Amino acid sequence: MEAVLWYVLTGTRGGENRVRILKTVEEQPRNANQLAETLDLDYKTIRHHLDVLMDNDVVQRSGDDYGAVYLPSQRCRANWETVETIVDRID
Amino acid sequence: MSIWVDVAKVSSGINVVVLLALSAIWARNYLTFRSKHAVGLLVFGVFLLAENALAFYMYLLDPTLSGWFSTKVPVIVWRLMMLLHVFETIGLAFLAWVTVD
Repeated sequence: MEAVLWYVLTGTRGGENRVRILKTVEEQPRNANQLAETLDLDYKTIRHHLDVLMDNDVVQRSGDDYGAVYLPSQRCRANWETVETIVDRID
Repeated sequence: MSIWVDVAKVSSGINVVVLLALSAIWARNYLTFRSKHAVGLLVFGVFLLAENALAFYMYLLDPTLSGWFSTKVPVIVWRLMMLLHVFETIGLAFLAWVTVD
């Protein structure tokens, strides 16, 4: 999981925004709309990043509906230290 | 013989362009995150870029070598060199796909 986090968050073009998303849903689970508003990003961009983060089991979705909220996955929370190390570098 | 030469030249050119784009992404991420992962990818990208830029230079730009490569190199050699570059182009296309994502 650590290698996945490092790659998805610091090896790709969208890494920085994915870090912002992850930090935000860790504070409080949110749906894609709320994330778009909070982070001032396009809804489609948020959707795309959420899909990548879900693909890699970094975030999980709670509920199946349109308004489902996202939160860090269990595997991600188990490796939260790594996420914090990465978050610290952009602050 | 010219088809192998052309494919090798074109794919080494494509490799240069793709590696420039990838290295730019990794360099930007290194500046943001200062992580060894980003710098590792960047070093990989820069050296593979150097390899392809050198090949491109030898095939097309160097006044002596480009003439030699286009007239004196046997077909079998060109076929294999073409394969090396094309394999690399395919590999880089996938790497670009997951990195630009």
